[in-house]
Amino acid sequence: MPPLPLAGVRVCDLTWIIAGPTATRVLADFGAEVIRVEHEQAVDAIRLGRPIIGDAPTLNNSGFFNYFNRNKKSILLNARHPEGMAILKRLVAASDVVVENFSNGVLESWGLGYEELKRIRPDIIYCSISGFGHSGRDREFTTWGPTAQALSGLTFMSGLPAELSAGWGYSYMDHTAGYYGAIAILMALHHRNRTGEGQCIDISQVEAGIILNGPAILDFTVNGRSARREGMPPGNHAWQPAVAPHNTYPCRGEDRWLALAVMNEAEWQAFVRAMDEPAWANDERFATNECRLANQEKLDEHIAAWTSESDEYELMTLLQAAGVRAAPCQHAGDRFEHDPQLAARDWWQHLPHAEIGDCEYDGVTPKLSATPGALRTASPLLGEHTREVLSGVLGMSEAEIDDALAGGVLM
Amino acid sequence: MTSGDTGRTGPLDGVRVVELCGDLGQLAGKLLADMGADVIKVEPPGGSSARTIGPFVKDIPGPNRSLNFWYHNTNKRSIVLDFEANELDAGILRNLIGGADIFLEDTEPGTLEAIGLGHESLRAGHPGLIHCALTPFGQSGPWAHYQVSDLVALAAGGPMRMNGYNEEDVAGAPPIHGQGDQAYNTACHFATIGMLVALFHRDVTGEGQYIDCSMHEALSCTTEVGMPYWFYKRVNVMRQTGRHAAAVRTERWLYRGSDGRGVLMFGIGRDNATWQKIKEWFQSEGFGLQFDEARFDSAAARQPGRGSAEASEIVEEARKFFEAHEAAYSYRGGQERGQSWGVVYSPDETLSDPHWHDRGFFVGTTGEGVESPALMPGAPYIFNTTAWRLRRPAPKLGEHTAEILTELM
Repeated sequence: MPPLPLAGVRVCDLTWIIAGPTATRVLADFGAEVIRVEHEQAVDAIRLGRPIIGDAPTLNNSGFFNYFNRNKKSILLNARHPEGMAILKRLVAASDVVVENFSNGVLESWGLGYEELKRIRPDIIYCSISGFGHSGRDREFTTWGPTAQALSGLTFMSGLPAELSAGWGYSYMDHTAGYYGAIAILMALHHRNRTGEGQCIDISQVEAGIILNGPAILDFTVNGRSARREGMPPGNHAWQPAVAPHNTYPCRGEDRWLALAVMNEAEWQAFVRAMDEPAWANDERFATNECRLANQEKLDEHIAAWTSESDEYELMTLLQAAGVRAAPCQHAGDRFEHDPQLAARDWWQHLPHAEIGDCEYDGVTPKLSATPGALRTASPLLGEHTREVLSGVLGMSEAEIDDALAGGVLM
Repeated sequence: MTSGDTGRTGPLDGVRVVELCGDLGQLAGKLLADMGADVIKVEPPGGSSARTIGPFVKDIPGPNRSLNFWYHNTNKRSIVLDFEANELDAGILRNLIGGADIFLEDTEPGTLEAIGLGHESLRAGHPGLIHCALTPFGQSGPWAHYQVSDLVALAAGGPMRMNGYNEEDVAGAPPIHGQGDQAYNTACHFATIGMLVALFHRDVTGEGQYIDCSMHEALSCTTEVGMPYWFYKRVNVMRQTGRHAAAVRTERWLYRGSDGRGVLMFGIGRDNATWQKIKEWFQSEGFGLQFDEARFDSAAARQPGRGSAEASEIVEEARKFFEAHEAAYSYRGGQERGQSWGVVYSPDETLSDPHWHDRGFFVGTTGEGVESPALMPGAPYIFNTTAWRLRRPAPKLGEHTAEILTELM
């Protein structure tokens, strides 16, 4: 295996659910030693998350947990026990990064706020991901992904005009807050390489969502135009740049769709040729982008009539060869079974999991030429690495570990 | 030019980036520039393609009036180089890259090689160069030269299929494209991660490398429960109105307030303590009068998905409560009582929430046609030692050409 770029970086991982684990998954994929600190009486709820493989949840058979926590270690530690907290502080001292996504103030309530972390290790990089951040009048409010999506404007921007929002059908902001966590930690690591200084990083999941809609906000502050107006959001029609055709079109079979966008007149000509120059395309109502926008409903009807007889992958091949932007609207099964691009890139991976068996995974992206990340281990069983970490990282003897176990410290 | 008391522009102070990007990669360059990197944006004579994307200042197009460009190019400098047609300019671009730590570009695979600016050539004599190539599908594979827009990419990559409507809400609705260039945003998040990982490796070893960043791969692993359900159950989750796609239909989360805004009810009274508060609140307004009955005391009976009468009644009372009040009232009242509720704001309506102003989240930017600073979103993260800063607005086309050429000499 080529060298792992973050080898030697140790992360004390206090995260749970999705946003925090997404940040630490990125770091783990690129070789950081990510040590999840877990507690039997406050188990990460995602360890019970469906899909469960088997008849009942065991805390180690969640496909959901397995997806987000590959390449990581797990120790069981009772931080409410004074000896457990002492061990946790020793782990902090031995770690480069501490990361958590609790609600605001939880870590402080443990006596482990940034000031204490810094006292333990002056160059510590501490990253906190919370819903509303650690400052501001509403910092006690809480979010799950959908809450952040609603408050940030993302939910609003996904839907048909005049209908209730379609929104995002998954926690896009859990993924994305995690990506910003990883980005922030990596920036802080570079800064520390340069200066020896650590960092305290405060990420609000809602803010990380608001920044994904900058142009729409500027449209209001510069032009006085709110996105909440007739015709917005425009479904699958274009917002900016305003072009037509731009939509999804039904294909052969049930619930099969082709996404298509024509961005300029040259592409329109290419599209018309690819359709074998149907008579309707010569209508002056479709001659220019402006006309096509004005007659978009009729335009969509004509195109849908053309696509509905065909397979969307065949249409993609035909249209792309003609220089037209088009692709099927793929679900998970499509990507796994039919997507030739992901297959050609060796995207799908396998790893053995002690309880679940052979498991399938996404690969690691992006592809770094000299130090690509790699899938090394499936997600950890609960507490699987307790002895290994306590002896290997903290230098505790077997006897000390046995005592801690007997004393209810490692649970 | 300084930040805090450290005299640095940010955590990436001293990192020099040459960026050659249209609309796809510009956010990645912004993320680096905003945290202190010196990002030189190389643009062809007509300007980066993003300069043609609206909305425009006062709806008048112009290379320095694109609000899409303004937002995505803060803290960068602009040099115009006709590197494809002009040998001298190609040489200048090569020199700029030779002096850079990172070269970020979103050109179609093969186009830079064709003009003698391929990675092998750039890396010769500059082994520390980090070259990030961001493309729709990656450098290799049958789709490597395919063209996309944000809609087309989001569709191919998987996220779009997760969004949509219940059949009974909008019959025959397709999967829905969440707007705002989220496919490009996700691709840029991964490109930025790649560049920063490579930068860390270079800090340690001095070695640069090439980063092949595929938007398609970035999207394919950004669908949360979508892939796990296929991996372990061979099931494709179904899209639903205003909530997570799921293997089986779930209870609604999204309701309408009296002002027409959506109210996101993510759980209600899951534990007995917060249930007590919700019950008192609803009843004080004349709703949920039946909630005092003992059958509502069990947390299990109250949860949706159990098919219980209690869960149905709670949802019905909540729906009526929300329809009788403005959405923000329900949102705040729920949050104050420990519920992770939300209100569906349009992006600009986030400006009306004082919490973000308490945190100094919005910043003012200026440019052609704007008399006083206009607010836009600021930092995705607050760093205590080396903060995010808006040092300069997005550059006018070629604004720094002379300055940069002088630096080269």
